[in-house]
Amino acid sequence: MDVSHSIRERTIAENSLVILLQGLHGQVTTVDLRDESTARGSVINVDAFMNIRLEKVLYRDRRGRVSSMDDLFITGRNVRYVHIPDSMNIIETIETQLAKIHRVRNFGASGGRKEYSKKK
Amino acid sequence: MEEDERESESERRSAPSQTSDQQTTTETSRQKLETDEDDIETKLDISSDRFDPLLALYSPQVPLPYPNIKCFNNIAEYESFMKGGRGRAKPENVEKRLRKAQKGKADPERIERLKRLMVNNPVEEEGEGSGVKRPPRQRKAAKNVLTRMPLHTGSPLGELNRCVQEKIRVKVHIRTFKGLRGVCSGFVVAFDKFWNLAMVDVDETYREPLLGQALYHEKALTVTRLFEKLKVQETVALSAVENQKSELHSSSSHLTHQTRRTDPKHTQERSEHSEKDKTTLKVTQKIATKPKVEYGRVHTRHVNQLFIRGENILLVNIQQE
Repeated sequence: MDVSHSIRERTIAENSLVILLQGLHGQVTTVDLRDESTARGSVINVDAFMNIRLEKVLYRDRRGRVSSMDDLFITGRNVRYVHIPDSMNIIETIETQLAKIHRVRNFGASGGRKEYSKKK
Repeated sequence: MEEDERESESERRSAPSQTSDQQTTTETSRQKLETDEDDIETKLDISSDRFDPLLALYSPQVPLPYPNIKCFNNIAEYESFMKGGRGRAKPENVEKRLRKAQKGKADPERIERLKRLMVNNPVEEEGEGSGVKRPPRQRKAAKNVLTRMPLHTGSPLGELNRCVQEKIRVKVHIRTFKGLRGVCSGFVVAFDKFWNLAMVDVDETYREPLLGQALYHEKALTVTRLFEKLKVQETVALSAVENQKSELHSSSSHLTHQTRRTDPKHTQERSEHSEKDKTTLKVTQKIATKPKVEYGRVHTRHVNQLFIRGENILLVNIQQE
């Protein structure tokens, strides 16, 4: 549930819908891949490039064969769909994640080193 | 006489670093021997007026007034040092060198500074922070994915934003590596510049990908063909079920229910696409001539909340009310 340590990843996530996926940390979801295979497991981490790490995964490949995995890493480009759990409100999740980034950004900026110059 | 003194000195010398204060204390303790020692001490003390330089040069231990001073091997060295040669010990340089030497060690002052910056209670910190910040400096407008959504007026993404605001049902065409995979019908809740979509209440109709030769020979899948195929599949299934007359009354009614549901959708599709430059197809003829669908089956499913990566989207079609 930790915000990424990289400023670059934070800004990429902040300005795209990846931040919605980052709010899924710990939830059990299904990821449909580009090659028609599906992976169902709990999300460990999603980074700014939509690379997803899943845990305790039930992986169904495009032939339909099912296998079980402890840990699965999916490259961002191979994602087609991510099923959002019904219990999650999309706008609220996005706003919570944005608030986290906001808090991290203002942490150091108030008394010390600024992340980036606020002058245009 | 001096030599004698030196010898006695070297025997009796104990503590090397003795300042003039210490000299006075040692003086007060022992009386008789003190006079000699006292003499020697004052002779070796640079600041006293009875300083004996010859004695100082030859004595093994001379009390230095500044013990941590830089030592030179000869006067020429001292001279060049004072003239400001390379690496001259200016006060700034000395400090810099000291700081560099201590780089690894934890500076307690720095630790204190960092501790003060630490957030103990985030609500508290924000309350204080925002109260202080607002009068002196206007905060720049926050730019994040939600604030960027309404910014696209006049462009296709602006149209998409309109669909978000007015909650219009849209149909999103999803692509396979070459051509159409299927259609997702639902409401868009959020989007971004990559066309990643967060959708709710999604009905997805899609076809399994064809492999190899079948793909080569098959005509390109279009939306029309997709829904026709779906209908064909279902009528084929329906006819297969109706052939078995035993206990299938409940299921057949279930299936006819399904076909009735797709019918309005299908006719809607046809009316939509008849305006396009695709050939208008007569459904009845097609059903008769089409082979039984064994490969590349068309599926339908419902997903309550779906995130679609923008890379996979062919187009977004607004379903007019």
